[in-house]
Formats: sequence, C-alpha cells, structure tokens
Amino acid sequence: MLQAIFYKEWLKLRLCWMIALAAHVAVVVYLLLSLRSTLMASGVVEVWATMIGRDVLMVNLLMYLPVITGVAVALCQWLEEMQQKRIRLTLHLPMDYTRTVGAMLGSSLVCLCALFALDAGLLAVVEQLWLPRELVWRTFLTCLPWYMAGLLGYIVTSWCILEPQWSMRCLNGLIGLPLVALCFLTAQPACYTTMLPWLVLLLVAVIWLPFYSVYRFKLGKGL
Amino acid sequence: MKNLKYLVIVLAVIVAAWLLPAFCQLLLPYAYRPPFVIYSCLDSTFIRFESQENKQMRYVDFRGREFSKAEADSLLPLFSYRQLLAEGRLPDSLYGIALTPKLIQQNAFHFKTSPKQLNKPAVGLYTMFESASGNVDLTLPPDVFRLTKDGIEFVDCETNTVNRAKSLSFSRELTKHGFIFPVRLIWGNGSTRKDYDNGFLLTDANDQLFQLKMVKGMPYVRKCENAEIVKWKNVFTLEPANRKLIGLAVSEDNRLFAVRSDATLAEIGIQDTSFVHCTSSFGTLSYNPQEMQITIVGDLLHWTVTLYTATDSRYYAVDADDFHLVAAEVVPDPQEPLSQRLMRWLLPLRLHFTSWQTQMVKPSLNDDF
Repeated sequence: MLQAIFYKEWLKLRLCWMIALAAHVAVVVYLLLSLRSTLMASGVVEVWATMIGRDVLMVNLLMYLPVITGVAVALCQWLEEMQQKRIRLTLHLPMDYTRTVGAMLGSSLVCLCALFALDAGLLAVVEQLWLPRELVWRTFLTCLPWYMAGLLGYIVTSWCILEPQWSMRCLNGLIGLPLVALCFLTAQPACYTTMLPWLVLLLVAVIWLPFYSVYRFKLGKGL
Repeated sequence: MKNLKYLVIVLAVIVAAWLLPAFCQLLLPYAYRPPFVIYSCLDSTFIRFESQENKQMRYVDFRGREFSKAEADSLLPLFSYRQLLAEGRLPDSLYGIALTPKLIQQNAFHFKTSPKQLNKPAVGLYTMFESASGNVDLTLPPDVFRLTKDGIEFVDCETNTVNRAKSLSFSRELTKHGFIFPVRLIWGNGSTRKDYDNGFLLTDANDQLFQLKMVKGMPYVRKCENAEIVKWKNVFTLEPANRKLIGLAVSEDNRLFAVRSDATLAEIGIQDTSFVHCTSSFGTLSYNPQEMQITIVGDLLHWTVTLYTATDSRYYAVDADDFHLVAAEVVPDPQEPLSQRLMRWLLPLRLHFTSWQTQMVKPSLNDDF
C-alpha cells in the first residue's frame, strides 16, 4: 500500500520536482560560475580577502529558493487533494490515516532534503576547488537555515491547505508565516549556529501540525 | 491527535511573545544615544557634545556649565586643533610641550569596538601583511593562514594549497619563543587602510601574550612581558600613528591593559573608584568586551575612554603616558519613557532572537537591552 502511495505521489508531483531540480541546479551553477568569474576578474587574493574581512559569501541568491520550493511542492501536493475534498478518497484507504498522510508528507520531505543536499553538495564540491575549507564550511552554515526554511515552508503550507476551515486556515497562516520568517532574521554568514538546535526542535514540533489538520478534516470541521 | 491543539496554542504564544513586542517597538521607537564626551586637559573636566532638536550642538560639562563653540574649542586644543589653527588660536605650547599640528596629529588615535563586533562567528583565516615592505601602502599578501592544533598553516590563495615551508618556519619561530600551541586568542587588523602593520596579538595555551608579524618574509615574534599571571579574554591590535602601542588586552577579570611597543604591559587605571563622581550604584568599574561598547579617543596628553553599558555610560580620562586615572564620571541612562515601561508591563513575556550585543541569532526571554 505504501508503495502505491509513493507511486501516486510521484505521478502527481514529478513535473513539480523536475522544475524544482532544474531551478536549484540552475541557481547553484549560476552561483558557481559567478564565483569563478569574480575570482578570475578580481583576483583570488582580493576575493578571499573580501570574503574573510567583509563577511561576503556570494550565495545570497540561494536565500529564498528553498522556501519557494517547499511552498510550491506543498501547493502542488495538497491543493489538488483538497479540491472537492478529494482527500476523502485517500483517507478511506484501508490503512490508518496517519500512516497515509505520514507517507505523503514523508516522501516530499525526503525529496526536499535530497534536493537541498544536492544543492549544498554541489556547492561544497566545486567551491573547495577554489576556496579554503573554512569558507566552504561557512557557506554551508549560512545556507543551512535557508534549507530549514524550505522544510518549514513545506510543512506550514501543508498545515494551512489541509485545514478544512477557512478561519482556522488564516490563523494557521498567521502562526506559520512568522515561524518560517525565523530563518531569515539575518543574512550575516554563519550567525545561525546557536539557533540551529532550536530550529530543529521547531521542525520536529511543527511536523505534527498537518496531521492535526487532517484529524479536524476527518471530524468533519468546515464541511 | 486532539491534544495537538495545545501544540498550536504553544506556537501561537511563541509567535505572539516575539512579534507583539517587536510591533510595539516599531510603533513607539525609543533609542537613547549617549552624547559624545571628551576630556578637556585645560579645564580638567569632561565636555559633552549634546545635539539638540534644532540640530545645534550644545557644549556642557558635568557640573552644568555651558560653553559656546569657540569656548569648547579653546578648552579642547588637542581635539579641535584644526579649527583653532584655522582661526589662528592654536596655542604655541601646552604644559611645556611645543605644539605643532604634526605632533598633535601623530599622537591622536581612535579605537572603537562593540560586543556585536566581537560576538560573531570567526572565519578562522587571517591575513599576515609584510610589515617592512618599504612601501607606504600595504598590499594584500598572496596567502592567508589558519590556526591548527600544533601550529599555524599558510594557504596559498592561487593554488588553495598549504605552503608547508612557510607554515613550519612561523610555527617553529613561535615555539622557539616559548609559545605553546594551540593559539587561544588572536587579533589582527586585516585592513590595508592603515599606515603600517603591527601584525597579530595572540595568546597561547598557557595564556602567555605574544606579538607575531612578518618582517621581510620572515616571522617576527615577541613575548609580552608581564609580572602578573593574567588570563586573557580579548586582545586587540592597534596601529596608532605615534607607534607607541601594539594593542590592548583585556583580562578574564575585565581589566584593561595597553600593550606598549616595547612589548610591556601597562594596566589602564579605569578601575580606580576613588575618582568616580556618581551617586547611583554602578556595580564594578571594569570593561567587559562581551557586554560593553568601548571608544577610546586618545591625544598627546590623555585618553578619553568611554564604556557604554546596558544601563549607563562611563567616562574615564587616563594619562596618555602611564595610563593612571585622571578623572571619571558614571552617568546612568535616562529613565525610559512611559510607553516603554507600559509595554513591558502589558507584555510580560518578550521573546527576542537578535540583540545589540551579538550578531548570533538565538532566543532570549525578556532581555530587552
């Protein structure tokens, strides 16, 4: 049954994932080419000195991409399900609804993590050819809260869409949006290292919220 | 599943505790900016530069005396020398020292740092300039160095590979002077916009203080001698025009030391409470770099050291030669406006993620400073 759910999710989201993959690879390749051209044009010594002395990392273009991806995946995954309450069919499968919804959420979260890992991996592998390990690690630490925002954006959007009542949907949005914004309080490199454990805790907490929306849906709220 | 509504409530409380105080601050902004204060060597008093609502500057001392701009300039000949020179009013000598603009300029220096500049993640890479290139302008070296467990390691920028010979040479020179790796604290000025380079001040595993710089491509190491055994908390390299100092060092117990150019240490006497004119309680008189902003405006005769804490501003005048305290004032910040106190009362739970004391993002509760 789980395999069938994963296959259904793949059929539903494959175009979305392809576009997301293309967008992420394009942005990362652009960032790397841009770094390479700056290194060639301005000189390696000057670029290193700027990156070390002025807290510049040249990856700011990546900042909002993960959260846009997370929100887009959630919209593609759940909007269709919520139109004419089609999700009722899914919830009537001979399987506990928490497992069904968990498999749907889990498959997307795993794919998002894989996409973000590809981003970070590609950046790290190529950057380490031109930059010292300290700057590569700093780039990773800077991007990490943006990837967290991608996961939070996906979960919060899913929570809002799955909520059956419009009033509660708005309230969820009012709570969820600031939680995602927590990942964008500063653009200073590596300044989220003390916040990362709290963001992980937040992620573990909010992952239950879409289940609460589905629970309310099953109770018949908003029908 | 129905218990998950409590999770939603908890998240809503967290969001409200963060956003409501932030919105209140946006609606009713309040920021106290202490005036610029400098010590007058002629009047033996501090003079405050207070900007007024009509954009005019008001010059007053802590005894309430008010001065005109011309009077203030006269009382601060080493600070306002350019104005006095333009007006033909610069005295020929001061306390037996013949004054020339060059002498005043050479002995003037400015240092400023704040907790926000210090409390941020270090990159872990440093630029070692050539200190004796013979050129007036400093140029960026072709490599940077990192600290390792048992030495320092130079990385060539063009090839991104370690220069083993140079790394070994610098590490050995440090060890030869009694340096015990790993490096615990390090500070250098990585800017090329300076007159010359004093290299780095660094402390070793045993809290001994050293100066390290590169002279003609070779390592130059000096151990800073100090009779006391001091644990260091922060070190700062300085490059003043008169070349009398290498830097500043702050001990674990928040005492401030000047590192002279002969690598000796002299404590800056800002802890001498007998000089302080303040009736309110101000705790201990010491400089905690992690919590206070410091500015030092130095001239030929005195340094005006200002410490901005979360609750008051502390002004010290110290002798520029032996750093003994000449005068001190502690001025508590004015009481916050009613709107701020009301906001605190109405919102007993205030969650902050950013602070004026650090660049790191981390949650803190009711820490409004």
